[in-house]
Amino acid sequence: MAKAQDIDVAPDEPYRLAAARIVRMRTGELFESADGVLDTRDIERVHDMRVATRRLRAVLEIFAPCFPQSEFKGVLSDVKQLADALGERRDPDVHIDALQSFAKALLAANKPGVVRLVEDMRARQTRGNEVLAAALERTHERGLHERLLALADAADAEDEAA
Amino acid sequence: MKARRVKGLDPDAMLADNAEQIVRVRLDELCGFMPTAADPAEVVALHDMRIAAKRLRYILEVTGPCFGPYARTATKLVKDVQDLLGEIHDCDVQIPETAAFAEGLLAADAAALHVAAGAAEDLDPALLKQAPHAREHAGLAVLQAHLRARRLLLFDRFLELWADLERKGFRARLEYAAGERADVFNEPQR
Repeated sequence: MAKAQDIDVAPDEPYRLAAARIVRMRTGELFESADGVLDTRDIERVHDMRVATRRLRAVLEIFAPCFPQSEFKGVLSDVKQLADALGERRDPDVHIDALQSFAKALLAANKPGVVRLVEDMRARQTRGNEVLAAALERTHERGLHERLLALADAADAEDEAA
Repeated sequence: MKARRVKGLDPDAMLADNAEQIVRVRLDELCGFMPTAADPAEVVALHDMRIAAKRLRYILEVTGPCFGPYARTATKLVKDVQDLLGEIHDCDVQIPETAAFAEGLLAADAAALHVAAGAAEDLDPALLKQAPHAREHAGLAVLQAHLRARRLLLFDRFLELWADLERKGFRARLEYAAGERADVFNEPQR
């Protein structure tokens, strides 16, 4: 699993400045994890991107009051949609992996039913990949990366103005 | 589950003071699911408790180094709770999905046998060999038994884990740590 960068925080650091710094960091991690995510042969890539999305969503929610609310709501909604799409792909990935491990412990007579369920999950995985591909395209079209960085910049600018 | 709103957060105040308020609310949310979630039939409460654990874990992972040393221990404990509840949730999703899948195959076999019987007075058991999914039912039944047994076992582990947290004063110790301030940078957490 992709390791998140360490975050140094100081108790007396202004909340708003921490928000800008940490959101920039987690945004970078999210978009770095997007390479090869549609390749179903390596299920860890989707997992890494999903974890990065969760971490980003978490810091957005933790630091919500530090951002301009009109822009923040749309950005958070887009991050949630991306997370949902990653889940559509990740859930069958995990299920297939678990079923294949389970099947190894079965008597031969019991394997066909589990193999049949894995086939059904493969179809779900394919549909999930299509959902994810569309979500990645939408993320690009809507400039989510740039909007996230703009949110961080706005938090910094508010601090300078204060 | 919608997170409870944390009132009084101030973007211009110190990180630790804001984070402390968030930790207190998220900790209260998590603990508030007990004793309801101690009932294994409370699937929704268990799912919501997992979400509450995740929210507490994330605020601790990001801001834990601002607080007293127990915050680091608590981060790990909350992750344990979240992971275990996640495994239980996976069972709660997979049990009905597998049952529905198995039921679909049974229905398909019944329909196929009905067609194969044609105008017969009664169904000849010998026709069962022609059922398209005849070899698949046994494995799905075994899988359902496995998932149900695993869910029972994981729920036992959850009750033990929560009892252990209570015995060790998890809530009070984290509340105390959230009121403490680290003097210098602690070793960074993820």
